[in-house]
Amino acid sequence: MTPNLPPVTITGIGSVSPYGPLAGLIPPRPLEPSAITAWTSVAPRRAFLVQPFRPSSVVPGLKTRRLDRLSAWALVASSLAIQDAGIDLSQLDRSRVAVVFATGFGCIELTEAFYLSAAANGWNGTDPSTFPETLASAPAGHVSLFHGLRGPNVTVSNKHFAGENALIQAASLLRHGQADLAIVLAGDALTQSLYSWYEVADLLSPACYNSDPLAQADSRIPNGFIPSEGVAAVVMESYDRGGVRSDLRSDVRSYARFRSGRWAAGGHPAEVIRQVLGGSVPSLTICAGNGAPCASSPTTALAREISGDDAVVIPPQAFALGLAGSGALFHLILGLSSLPSSRPVSGQALLLGTAAHSGFAAVLLELP
Amino acid sequence: MTDSHKTIVVTGVGVISPYGIGLDCLQAGMLSGRSCLEPTKDMYPGFEGTTAEVQESVLRSKDFCSRYSRTDQLAIAAAQDAMVNSGCDRATFRESGVLMANTVGGLTEIDAGIAKDPAAWFRRPGGLLRGSSFPIAHVADAVGDHFGIRGPRCAISVACASGAMAIALAANMLLDGAAPIILAGGSDPLCPFTLSGFNSLRALDPNPCSPFDQNRNGVNLGEGSAVLVLETLAGATARNANVLAVLRGWAMTNDAFHTTAPHKEGSGLADCIHLSMEMAEVSGDEIGYVNAHGTGTPLNDIAEANAYETAFRGRNRPIPVSSTKSYFGHCLGAAGALEAAITIMAVRSGALLPTLRLTNPIESPGVDWLRGEVKRQPLPLAMSASSGFGGSNTVLIFGSGRS
Repeated sequence: MTPNLPPVTITGIGSVSPYGPLAGLIPPRPLEPSAITAWTSVAPRRAFLVQPFRPSSVVPGLKTRRLDRLSAWALVASSLAIQDAGIDLSQLDRSRVAVVFATGFGCIELTEAFYLSAAANGWNGTDPSTFPETLASAPAGHVSLFHGLRGPNVTVSNKHFAGENALIQAASLLRHGQADLAIVLAGDALTQSLYSWYEVADLLSPACYNSDPLAQADSRIPNGFIPSEGVAAVVMESYDRGGVRSDLRSDVRSYARFRSGRWAAGGHPAEVIRQVLGGSVPSLTICAGNGAPCASSPTTALAREISGDDAVVIPPQAFALGLAGSGALFHLILGLSSLPSSRPVSGQALLLGTAAHSGFAAVLLELP
Repeated sequence: MTDSHKTIVVTGVGVISPYGIGLDCLQAGMLSGRSCLEPTKDMYPGFEGTTAEVQESVLRSKDFCSRYSRTDQLAIAAAQDAMVNSGCDRATFRESGVLMANTVGGLTEIDAGIAKDPAAWFRRPGGLLRGSSFPIAHVADAVGDHFGIRGPRCAISVACASGAMAIALAANMLLDGAAPIILAGGSDPLCPFTLSGFNSLRALDPNPCSPFDQNRNGVNLGEGSAVLVLETLAGATARNANVLAVLRGWAMTNDAFHTTAPHKEGSGLADCIHLSMEMAEVSGDEIGYVNAHGTGTPLNDIAEANAYETAFRGRNRPIPVSSTKSYFGHCLGAAGALEAAITIMAVRSGALLPTLRLTNPIESPGVDWLRGEVKRQPLPLAMSASSGFGGSNTVLIFGSGRS
């Protein structure tokens, strides 16, 4: 990206995850995968699951009865991010607010339900209310509808870098003046078929099959990952364009400023990322990993190659690794949440993801 | 930055449609007035309706390996046609981006067994491979991997506005310098899942559709793919590329009104048209033709007519509008890209295609509903409008390369 573009700031965070529905950063605490009890046809398995909750208990008035979990979580996470940003949407020009949603598998729960209804009733007997909710873009549509957001509404996907992709696309919308504020979301819901796919493909960590505390199982992660689910949301705002709430400019908290971002399916990551950095060296790298722990993964090696040994490198979190392509926002949130208070980090930070033979993604941020 | 760095141009167009492969094939078929919509009975047991299919022989000739879903195959065929149409060898595209829209993904490869007993489904021969094509992202990867393209890849899915939005987002990315060239478009096949879904919504016209007619009765589904080769004018000039058209303006909005129904006044689409004209720095009088979304459903077409009335109010003559879905149906995630290709075709040829079977148009005094014969006139600027479930709208404005 061209360096002289207007700054874009992350001003709000919300999430629905195994940590629960939360506004703001996620207080660091150990997270253990939980036993999957809903799928009776398989032997005990573990995953990082969102525990059931009533969305209306978090967002009063929210109706989610006809929605799948992914759409419901997107509504809750977006509401929490907006709340965290201190935004009163009724005071904004909502035609200037965009929604960008990243997902790997979209509304897979209702896609499966639609198939089952076809199997039970024939293709001529499927449920009309289910079909529109099977679209990958349904969660983003609901977010626009619920909040009355009339700006661009985009759903993106990428096998490994959907979350980074969403951040970059949202920043692009803001910088080109196509919106003043963007709600960026990324996430997926876990289903039995998805879990089975990982299992048959031999992608799962041994930690999925026993109840040892994860701390002891960390060494097994190189051999696979623990599937997870959830939706993360961030609010991104452009200020130099006079933003939708420019009067609040001085009061608004900034988690980080978006500087630039690139992703590619091949090429030489270090070379491209150095171009993005423009000669500077990030003091913090948040690894968005590829299923391996940061200490020994290609992501860490790349982070060290770019940043040197003195930079703070935050390893990928097992929970966010389990979201595959849509995990980057959680990696970012968990990374910011886990910054050591004993060693304050400021200046440039890199959200860095790599995937074997599938390229890289790099998002350059500036910490306040 | 000079203007040539901010100007996005089209240097290649690839199409696979029920007419066959290539823009010339599409143009010849459409100019002849031939409709590809035909009675269909075998899409799933009990289905009787009207669809437009890409002929199997067209795809078979491509010698695709089994790892590609039909969505992938259509996308690869269109991307290859776009690269050939651009006159460049594959090496030119090595660092390019790939933005492919779709809504179906690999649903053509999947059946109910995946939900009933997923472990058994994946363990059967080819199960993992078929399952891996399910995510919508796979289409962009299929195109990228097939042609050895290593720039940024992304799948876009915003229902029926997907194809147009892929083009709009690609234009943003080019302005950002994310890649020197981007292959952007959409691909979607016919499949029981979507036919059943639209059938359950009672949105399908059992006969060939008649968009914008007062007696319209719903949509027909089709299949296909279109891919544009997009780059900045500076890039195109530097490599002496043939500029087919200029993407003068683009905009995206959302109705925020209803999950499946458009805003009845078409306000979201009208806003989108205004924004695209603002970007293109043109007035409504300068737009010579609108290739409409025009699905043929009662709700869409009246909302769209209202949008044109609002957006082109004050124009000194009615705005010429047609729906080319009357030729080969609604190709869902590919529709916006195919209609972008048709709009480029109109700009280049000056041939304004009529809506087929439009006998009793919606009363809309600000709109000149094109019907009957092909209208020929110089066409410096034309617009393509797309909308979809979830309220998304995208509008693209194309100008001739000569301007």
